[in-house]
Amino acid sequence: MSKVLETGLVDYENIVKDGTVELLKNIEDSDFNSAIQKIQELSEARHKLFYNEVGHLTRSLHDAIRDFQVSSVDLVNDEGKAEVNKITDASDRLNYVIETTSAAANKTMDMVDSSVPVASELQNQARGLRKDWSRLIQRDLSPQEFRDLYKRIDIFLGYTDESATTLHSNLNTILLEQGYQDLTGQVIARVNDLIRDVEVKLVHLVAVAGRVDSISGIDHKESEKEPDDGDTRGHGPAIDKQNNPEVLGSQDEVDDLLSSLGF
Amino acid sequence: MKILIVDDFSTMRRIIKNLLRDLGFTNTVEADDGTTALPILQAGSIDFLVTDWNMPGMTGIELLRAVRADDKLKTIPVLMVTAEAKRDQIISAAQAGVNGYVVKPFTAVALKEKIEKIFERIDAAK
Repeated sequence: MSKVLETGLVDYENIVKDGTVELLKNIEDSDFNSAIQKIQELSEARHKLFYNEVGHLTRSLHDAIRDFQVSSVDLVNDEGKAEVNKITDASDRLNYVIETTSAAANKTMDMVDSSVPVASELQNQARGLRKDWSRLIQRDLSPQEFRDLYKRIDIFLGYTDESATTLHSNLNTILLEQGYQDLTGQVIARVNDLIRDVEVKLVHLVAVAGRVDSISGIDHKESEKEPDDGDTRGHGPAIDKQNNPEVLGSQDEVDDLLSSLGF
Repeated sequence: MKILIVDDFSTMRRIIKNLLRDLGFTNTVEADDGTTALPILQAGSIDFLVTDWNMPGMTGIELLRAVRADDKLKTIPVLMVTAEAKRDQIISAAQAGVNGYVVKPFTAVALKEKIEKIFERIDAAK
């Protein structure tokens, strides 16, 4: 905890101690005006401590978010002016992840879509030739059929060459598209850092509130948890399947569970 | 055989659509959540429903319950393809009347196996 806050808490503790003594004395003397004023002072001291700390925290959260934005600004462009990158906050960054992964997935599927017919055509032509080729081996071809096969083999070799080039280039495109993993990984790591930063500061605020309340003698009842409708809404992919007995780790386990239910 | 594919991610719809095409099912329609899927189902002509669970608006389990509660739709076979893998969720999907359950990430073989199993059962019941 910060030094300023430590002194703040000690001061507050002293104010509460001294104030209570004075308050009791006021009540004993039936000086209710002063007693009420004392209560107000105590309450103000508590608020002031909170305000100071909340102010402090807001500033450091703001700094954390601003640093995050500054680091994502393209520093200088050709004219020497600072050019603000489109990615200026965490939410934009995460959208960038969604867009990039989606674009990569679609590009990859485009490449697959354009490769499948090429492979199928190769397969068809090869199967057709193979049939006639085995007839040739068995010396079962007429001279006309042989001349025909001769031509078809030449066409097939040309097509095979072209197809291999197309498939090669499609596979290369698929390979390059996987670069999204690097880019999005970096973005997610940075957003993760920001979240951790904010979390640490919020935990700190909770700790301060706890200290102030314990000095003031205020006891909060545990707030009741809202019923979880996650099972209807969905949880998304399970991240830690091994350590969660409620989550089934594989299709086989799902099948076993379903068959135990009579499926 | 007309199949409705419901998933909020277009890439996942495309993957499922391509796998179905490889299995010989070329007639597919798409919707991005339960709310957009229901009117398509109610318009008729859908023979098979493949749905995700976790979607904005109406979820897959809600869609399944809505289908089973509708007299005109309740016999449509429903295959869930989802990342949701909690024991309780799979049990509630089974109770709601799902015909098959495939967890993501899935393989082409798993999807094929489940679809074939569903059709086998339907044929056996005829």
